[in-house]
Amino acid sequence: MNAQAPTDLRTLSYAEAIREAMAIAMEADPTVILMGEDIGVYGGAFQVTLDLIDRFGPDRVMDTPISELGGAGVAVGAALTGLKPIFEFQFSDFAMLAMEQIVNQAAKLRYMLGGEASVPVVFRLPAGSGTGAAAQHSQSIEAWFGHVPGLKVLQPATPEDAKGMLLAALADPDPVMIFEHKLLYKMKGHVPAGSYLTPIGKALLRRAGTDVTIVAGSIMLHRALEAAEKLAAEGISAEVIDLRSIRPIDHETILASVRKTGRLMVVYEGVKAFGVGAEISAMVAESDAFDYLDAPILRLGGADAPVPYNPDLERASVPQVDTIEAAARRLVRREV
Amino acid sequence: MPVEVILPKVDMDMTHGTLAVWHVAEGEMVQKGAALFDIETDKAAMEVEAPASGSLHHITAQPGDKVAVGTIVAWLYAKDEAVGAAPLTAAAKQDAPPPVTVALPADITPPLSAPSFPPPQAEALAQRATPSARHAARSAGIALERVRGSGPLGRVQRDDVTAFLQSAPQTPATAPWVPQSGPLHISRRKGQGLPLVLFHGFTADSQSWAPLEKALGPQQPLIRIDLPGHGKSPRRRIAGFAELARMVVEAFDEATREHDKVHLLGHSLGGAMALALADIRGRKLASLSLISPAGLGPEVDADALAGIVRASRAESLAPWLRRLTATPDGISDDYARAAMAPRKDPAMRAAQADMTAALFPDGVQAFDLRPALQRIEAPTQILWGRQDHILPYRHALAADGDFAIHLLKGAGHIPQIECPDRVARIVQRLIAGCDAPV
Repeated sequence: MNAQAPTDLRTLSYAEAIREAMAIAMEADPTVILMGEDIGVYGGAFQVTLDLIDRFGPDRVMDTPISELGGAGVAVGAALTGLKPIFEFQFSDFAMLAMEQIVNQAAKLRYMLGGEASVPVVFRLPAGSGTGAAAQHSQSIEAWFGHVPGLKVLQPATPEDAKGMLLAALADPDPVMIFEHKLLYKMKGHVPAGSYLTPIGKALLRRAGTDVTIVAGSIMLHRALEAAEKLAAEGISAEVIDLRSIRPIDHETILASVRKTGRLMVVYEGVKAFGVGAEISAMVAESDAFDYLDAPILRLGGADAPVPYNPDLERASVPQVDTIEAAARRLVRREV
Repeated sequence: MPVEVILPKVDMDMTHGTLAVWHVAEGEMVQKGAALFDIETDKAAMEVEAPASGSLHHITAQPGDKVAVGTIVAWLYAKDEAVGAAPLTAAAKQDAPPPVTVALPADITPPLSAPSFPPPQAEALAQRATPSARHAARSAGIALERVRGSGPLGRVQRDDVTAFLQSAPQTPATAPWVPQSGPLHISRRKGQGLPLVLFHGFTADSQSWAPLEKALGPQQPLIRIDLPGHGKSPRRRIAGFAELARMVVEAFDEATREHDKVHLLGHSLGGAMALALADIRGRKLASLSLISPAGLGPEVDADALAGIVRASRAESLAPWLRRLTATPDGISDDYARAAMAPRKDPAMRAAQADMTAALFPDGVQAFDLRPALQRIEAPTQILWGRQDHILPYRHALAADGDFAIHLLKGAGHIPQIECPDRVARIVQRLIAGCDAPV
């Protein structure tokens, strides 16, 4: 909110960009409301809502009791009856308490009511490891929701996308879940002023290359880009795709890149097995791009263990720049 | 051609022998009659002599290997003969018991030329390769087993295939076309087995067989005959079908003089020619394949024939050509331009216009070959596109006789150009069934 630098050099943090999106939406549309635990005077577990209660009052910035199931249920009901609630979970891990409302209610009501109702709710979910918050507050469970028809699942990696995706989610008539990485909240980047929508379901080529395609979302995008920069110094040209949307997933952008490079690595923070990487690998293997593969597909994911509390172990349990770099190098050098 | 070195049958009841030792190393010269290798059977050990003088290459059996009788174990190259890839062994050439050497998978075309390392061994079938490398090898028509892999555990990468293709000198795998003198233009290409004689359709020429020739592969010996007034044959006026048939028989006799039997394939008017030939030269026929043959009924799209004959430029030719394929989009403007190029000759168009009047008066097929079809004794099959707009495939259903009918889905009047691979498979199946070893 504070970094009001003019026009093209306008820079905000990821958290500020989200807050700006909420403020723009609330000013433009009186049906947009915020709900969640401690989002009012306290400003939210990660200070994302901060002072919005001062600007829009407690009727539109509502603290809900410590019951995710209850809070999410009220949000779904409000959405069903004409409001556009943005419900914040303190940690994405707590979405498990609200599974009934997310998966059985929000995702299915439009279908079960024959299209006569919709649930335009947005769930914001702080996700990921790296904050020393231990096993119950550090998970990356976005892939779970990729399995649910009726949901849209987004993963912004930059402040610009964080704002554009939230506005796009509000413009969408169906439930949208936005997984925000906790380590990105303070990251700064260019954010256009005013209202704009980041298209849902479109991946983005962040770095062009010829030797290997690295698909990564959220914080993994930044680690992949850093690894790609280091690899470039050795003459390895990595193409990096920002996945952005887990559901719907952008098949064409990924397939086009694999046809070009012939090698694919998927990097994600969630537990490696049964995850985003499996879906993308299978999608490529089933497509015509299969014939372009010149190496096995590699998945780099979270360890098959709860996220550890010990900081060194926590760091080692998810892909880091050096592990991405080493894996890509092995792939390109035919050691895999 | 290099001379095959075969594991001989040295015992009456012998099916296999063990190669004991080579007396000559790979690449060494040997004189005809000199000891080449020893074999051991259950009963005896024996020295095998070199069947020809030359240098020894492509050894496929190592000492200790048990090999079936008749298997080629190496090749001898004459002194100044270039050593290429190991020649493929046609299955038909080998004696009864199947050899234990590895045949290349059927869907992989033989390599075009020389690799610098030995031919495939048995375990090469489990060749590791990336999908991209397999795809590249398939597209280039080379056997993956011949490419050395640089990946883990010898896995073939795409680069390896690319490098292989670049390093391999491009020697022609197919025998050249040789023209033969005769009343009509004849061209022939050598190969293995009985030759297949090809008669093209009205307004086409021998060049039109190119897609099918490719699909049939380099091993198939072929004889092509240009009809009178077509291709490189003389532009003669034809009074009627009987005269046309007489000229074709004369050329056929000339072209097949050195063969006891041949396979015959005709398309459209060439199909009618093939039928007429089969009727009077039946004993020479090993098999007969007819693609959308004329002469099995009165109906024909005479407008299209006349239109093609009359056309003097690509723009006027294209609409008529588009009736030849199942759907009009089968013929591009570029295709029409290429088709018009050899039709620029006014003398040829005049000869074909006369032929149209003689063969198709009032837009009717004025010749009837159904009686000939009934009399044929050689194995016969008719291939017809279900979407043929020139001649209706129902003619085949209505005709009497013993023959197989293949109705091709999605094909029009020229399936040998629209779907050459499918046509080749059907033709090859009949040929293989009739090409019994002599």
